[in-house]
This record gives sequence, structure tokens and C-alpha cells, in this order.
Amino acid sequence: MTVAGRVTRLREEFDRSFAEPARVLECETVELLAVGAGDRPYALRLTEASGVHPDRPVTPLPTSIRALLGVAGFAGAVIPVYDLAALLGHPVPRRPRWLLLAKGTPPLALAFHELDRHLRVPLADVVDGADPRGCLRGMVRLPDGHRPIVDVPAVRELVHRLAGYRSVPEEAR
Amino acid sequence: MAEGKDPLRYFRIEARELVDQISAGVLDLDQGGGPEPVARLLRVAHTLKGAARVVRQKEIADRAHAFEEVLIPYRGVDVPPAADAMRELLRLNDEIAARVAELEDRPKPPVASGPDEPAPAPAPAEVVVNPRAVTADLDELLDAVGETTARMAPLRAGCATLERLHRAAETLADQLRTGRGTTPATARSAAERLAGKLGSAGRRFTDAVDQMQRELDEVRARAESLRLVPAGSMFTAMRRAVRDAADAEGKRVRFEARGAGVRMGAHLLGPVSGAFLHLVRNAVVHGIEPEPQRLSAGKPAEGTVTVEVERRGRHAAFRCLDDGRGFDLDALRDTARDRGLLPSGAGPPDDAGLLDLVLRGGISTSPSVTEVAGRGIGMDAVREVAARLHGDVRVSSTPGAGARVELVIPLALLSMTGLNVESAGMTSTLPLDAVRACVRLSAQDATTAAVTGRIVYDGGAAPFLPLAEALYAGTPVPESTGVGAAVVVKGEAGLFAIGVDRLAGTSALVARPLPDLARASPVVGSVTVDAEGNPRLVLDPDGLAAEVAGGRPAGAGPAAAVAPLPILVVDDSLTTRMLERSILESAGYEVDLAASGEEALEMARARRYGLFLTDIDMPGIDGFTFVERTRADPRLAGVPAILVSSRAGAADRERGRAAGADAYVAKGEFDQERLLGHIRRLVVRS
Repeated sequence: MTVAGRVTRLREEFDRSFAEPARVLECETVELLAVGAGDRPYALRLTEASGVHPDRPVTPLPTSIRALLGVAGFAGAVIPVYDLAALLGHPVPRRPRWLLLAKGTPPLALAFHELDRHLRVPLADVVDGADPRGCLRGMVRLPDGHRPIVDVPAVRELVHRLAGYRSVPEEAR
Repeated sequence: MAEGKDPLRYFRIEARELVDQISAGVLDLDQGGGPEPVARLLRVAHTLKGAARVVRQKEIADRAHAFEEVLIPYRGVDVPPAADAMRELLRLNDEIAARVAELEDRPKPPVASGPDEPAPAPAPAEVVVNPRAVTADLDELLDAVGETTARMAPLRAGCATLERLHRAAETLADQLRTGRGTTPATARSAAERLAGKLGSAGRRFTDAVDQMQRELDEVRARAESLRLVPAGSMFTAMRRAVRDAADAEGKRVRFEARGAGVRMGAHLLGPVSGAFLHLVRNAVVHGIEPEPQRLSAGKPAEGTVTVEVERRGRHAAFRCLDDGRGFDLDALRDTARDRGLLPSGAGPPDDAGLLDLVLRGGISTSPSVTEVAGRGIGMDAVREVAARLHGDVRVSSTPGAGARVELVIPLALLSMTGLNVESAGMTSTLPLDAVRACVRLSAQDATTAAVTGRIVYDGGAAPFLPLAEALYAGTPVPESTGVGAAVVVKGEAGLFAIGVDRLAGTSALVARPLPDLARASPVVGSVTVDAEGNPRLVLDPDGLAAEVAGGRPAGAGPAAAVAPLPILVVDDSLTTRMLERSILESAGYEVDLAASGEEALEMARARRYGLFLTDIDMPGIDGFTFVERTRADPRLAGVPAILVSSRAGAADRERGRAAGADAYVAKGEFDQERLLGHIRRLVVRS
């Protein structure tokens, strides 16, 4: 295609994008991150995260909590980093590369090894189901196999228990 | 005012500052006297008078004038102002302060206030920290910014040099391409010259960037510390409270303050100063005896009330001391009995129990209620502040010698100077005020110190621990260059030393508490953010002291320690088993031996162990598997495991960590003391 042809096509697409009404998705979807933690595939709900960051230096802490990797800096704030694989009960072969900031308070980052891809799947492909260990909730059916979905609030609960954290009423702070 | 321009905008700021100076100056005069404070006060009052006239604040100008009139007779003479004059100065000071405060409350000038209406004296329940108090800090910050900007010049010059060198390189490349105007020899020497120039330009760049980095660190630390207020900002109001109470009681009382430079968040200082205003008043009214009584007790006629502020690790301690009569314990006992606060049937409470009652409120330390104190409010206020700020209060009293109230609160943000140290690849920071000395260690000194756990310092032997062992307690210590220096630190129980690889200079920093979910060993006191935005650990001297003392709380001797559970040694080599047993037994541990992983698993399920010490390469299940299986067994998962192996590679260490081992000791660098250090720290005690 000539350059002029491409320019024309891009221009038409640009104009059309304004002319067309906003598209409505026919079915409800869920946005997920396909990740690898401790060499196992998992999915995380995007709505339960407030950010994903690669290769952030983590300062190790002397601690008795095995899953607590240390603390990392995010825009001037110091945030504890927990190893997702360790929290899910897998031995940890390598230091994870990715950090996911979990929604909620107090601040918490979960570290995982691989970020495979971002997914938008129809709600029908998500199978609900409780997990005996309590940190997973349901599975997502994907062409390359099923992935358990990590229940980030439940993981947060586990971290709170490990750290002996009890929430303080707002007025007492 | 129709234009919306506020003519008092600048006056308000200036007046506030001048009033602060007058307030402090009057109190100085009250305690010291002499020509210097008088001259200073006159200058300040005169400035205020002039400024007030310019903006037509007649009331302030008139009072400043009256203030000058009172002072003028004392100019240049070494006679302290008479009591009446002093009282008049204080009154005028209050009136001026009230008028200035009024201007701040109502930005528009007052419309219909009677000019002769006396202003109410300010009753500071809580000290409002003057925003102008940060002026000096702002100046320092600006200096630091200026300094950093100045570092740009070499970089700019460097850019020009680089451009020149770039052109030279292009010319050379052209010459080489066309082969004209150059011989191989001249081209080579031109290239060498160019390389040399580039090298030195590069070095200058590196230096300039390093320097800039340091300056920027400084700027950031200063900017951060602006969020904090010096404790000294609350002393003026306290001095004034002491002065007023003493005046009302007809006593002579000197106020002393220490720790003005300790900085903390204004949200802490405000409530504390409010409570301490009550305490100092109480001390004057009920603590300090009347002059004749003091003289007959052999005390100086003038009483002393002292307020001390001190930073202690991640806490701030505020103390109010007086040299008065102490609490009347008998009267307290009677009051407590009358109010039914003592449990029936119990004997009379001891002194500590009584003071505890005072602290819990309900009874006052004062025999009578007066205008300024005696309603138990002082103690209530301190208690309330302690509860609000998650602090602790301690009260003590020596009859006839004085009383002491101490409030200790945790600090959220803390400005300090830190000594940065590198250890096993990690930089951490020690509060410089706890550091007594730094000693360079040769490799041999370092080994001796690590083996004996002691270092000779100042004619004595201080306990010694390599910092890496404290920082990586329970996990494998990364490879490092080895200990090259010892930092001698003062802890609660005396001096101790930590071994670090390298000292990395000092820096100003703001320390903040560890985040809620980051539960760390007590070795870490707080955390700061370095220039790259990454967290850096700030070590806690007391936590380190406890770790150096072997993880036992300071003061607990070995006899007090609980006996460790036996240790299970797993190794297929008889020699190693015996060697390890002799090391462990001579260190006082009970030892069981297993020759294989299978045997060890069986034994581990049959007896409670305090630690597993296992080889990796064994026939049957290897050490990694043994550790993994014990971690998977809820009954054994809590028993720490140490891997000992001839494999020293990073991959094996990582695998050991992954399996769940708490430490990894390479046989090649087998070091009894290091092994025992790990064991002492990890072993489970019954």
C-alpha cells in the first residue's frame, strides 16, 4: 500500500471512530491478568489491583515471615512486598519480577514471577468455586487450559494474619 | 479594601515574628537581665512600633511604645527590671500578642472595636507552632538548592567539552575515510589524544554527577525535615506559664529546657505542649515549696522546673522535673482511701501503687485546689495525650527532693543524621547519635572478632556481631566482600560493636515507621527513602544490642535463658556427624544423629527437636527434600532447618531457601562461630 493510501485509510478510520456510536459489549466481561507464580499459572482480577510494576528494587527485611520479601518504594511511600507464590504455598525458586499493588489498606504489594498477558473474558468463562486453602476463588476457562483465580482480598486477609495486623478504627489513628 | 488588596498581608507575618521575639525576650530578661536582652527587646519593640504605625495599627503601636518606655530606664545598666516593671512588660506583651492574633483571625481590619477595650490575655491551651519558625529551615533549604544549582556549572562546561570532542572525532573520522591530510601515525596519535580527553571529560562528569547526587540528597532531606517542628518551639509558652504561676504564688522559680533541637511532627508537639503546660504549672504551684521552707530544707531559694525532650530510638521522651517537695504520698493515700479507690481488705498501697492511682486519674497530687492547678487536670491531660498518641506515662517522686513525670510517645516521622553502612550488598543506616566510634578492621581482626564475638575497644571488650547476621537472620547471607569495619554503638546496656563491609558516609534523613504489614525483627527501627526512591532500613540501636547479646533481651543472663531443645544432625558421613556433634555439644546443646534423610524423618516425628542441621548430598532423600518434607508437615514445619553442604553456588543457596531452609552454611567456608551464631538465633527453646 502506498503512503498516500495508508494516510487516507488512517484518516477514514479516525473520522469513522467519531461517527460511530460507542460500542456496547454484548455480554459482561471480566478483566484478568494471566500471571505465573512459583511456576504455576494463575489469574488475578484487574479490579482488585491498583497497579502493576516490573523490576522494582525490594529492600529485604530481617523478618520471621517467610513470604515477606521486604519493602519497596512507590512514589515516596514504603510498601511491604509479599511473595504471592509463598502465600499460595509453593516453594519459591526465584525472586519474583513483578509487583502488583493490591487494593485496600494498609498498602500491600504482591510479587509474582511472570506476567503472561492481559485478558478480557466473558463472565460465562469464569467458574465460581471456593478453594479449601482460601486464597483462590474460581477458575477461568482459557484455550490453553484453566487458571485458578487468586482472591486478592483473601490473600490480603492471610497477610494481615501473618503480620499480626489488626485494623485500627479510623478515629484512633 | 475595595481593590481586594490586603494592606496587612505582610504586617501580619512580620508582627507575628516580632511578637514571638518579644515574648521570648521578656522571659529571658526575667531570668537573666542585663544590658543585652534589654537592648534587643528595645530594638524589636521599636521595629514593631514603626511597622504598626505604617499600617495604622495604632493600638499595637501605642503598646509597643509603652513597652519601650518601661524598658528605657534599664538600657545600658546591669540592673534587672523591678518586679512591677516586669509585670507591666508581661502585660503589654500579652496585649500586643492578643491584638496581633486578632489581626490573624480576622484578615479584614476590625470595623467597630472599641480602641480602649482591654484585650483578653491569651490562654494557650495548646501551642500553635508558628509557621515563621521554619524560616531558618527554609533558608537552609534554599542554601542547599543554591549549592546544587552551582553544581550545574561544571556539567554545562562538560557539555561544551563534549561537543568539541564530538567535532574532533568527526573530523578524524572524515580524515580517515578520505585518507587525505593524515598519515596512519598522526591519525593514531589524534585518536589517542581524543581518547585521553574523553576519559578525563568522563571523569569530570562522574565527579560532578556524584557531587550533585549528594547535594540533591541534602536538599531532599532538608525539604522533608520542613514537615517537622523543633521541640524548642513549645518552650516559650512553658516558660511563660512557669513565670506566671510563680508570680501568682509569690515564688521564685527558674525554668530550664533541654532538647530544643529535637524535631517531630507538629501534630505530636501540639497536644504534648498543651498537657505539659498543666504539668509545669502544677510543678510550680504544688511542687516547689515556699522560699522559707526551701531554705530550711537546705535547698536554694529559687526552685527549678525542667522540661526535657529527648529522642530515644523511635520514641520521643518528654520529662517534667521539679526540685520541690515531691508528691504528698500520705495525703494521696488518705484521699484514695476516702474515695474508696483502694481494694477493700488489701493493705495500704505502696508508693508505686499510689502513683499509679494518680496516673489513672481521679485523685489530684495537690492538697488544695487553686486558681491554676490542683484539680487533677494536669495528670488527666497527660494521660489523655498519652492515650491519643499511643504513648506511656511514668510518674516518680522522691519526698523532699522532687517529682518527675515522663511521657514517651512513638514518633511517626523523625529527622536525624544517619551513618550509612554497607553490609552483604545492602546499605542501611544507623542513627549517628548512637554511634561512638568507627574502627577499621583488617581481615585478621575481622576473623578474630567474628570467632570470639568480641572486639577490643577503649581498653575493654565490647560484644561484636557482623551486621549481615542480624540483617539476614534466618536466611542465607549473600556473598560479600567481608567485614572491613566495626561500628561501636551505645546501647542501653553498654557499648557493643557491629561489623560492616564498608562505611558509606553520613546523611540527613527523615525516618518513618515501618509500614503496618512489614513486621520486622527489632533490629530495624524505621525506614527512610533514599535518593532513588527506594526504602533503606534504619537500624535500632537497642534492637541491635539485643541481637548482639544473642537474641536475648538485654539484661537476661545465660542462666535465665530457657534451655534449647535438642538438635538433630543429619549427615551420611560419620566424620561430619561426629565433628558437628562435638561442636554442638561443646556449645552446650544436646545432639541426636541420623545417617540418612529417611532415618531423620522418622526420628523427627518421634521426638521434639529445636533445630535440624542437615547435609544436602545423601543417598535416598537428599537434604533439600528432607527440608521440604518437614516444611510440609505441620508438626515439623516450625522446627528451623540449616543446610550444610560442600555446594557453595548461589543456585544451591537459592534452592535451599526455596525448600524452606532457614540458613545455608557452605562446608568450604565452614566456620564454627558462624554456624553456632545461626543455631543460637534459630534454635527453638522449650
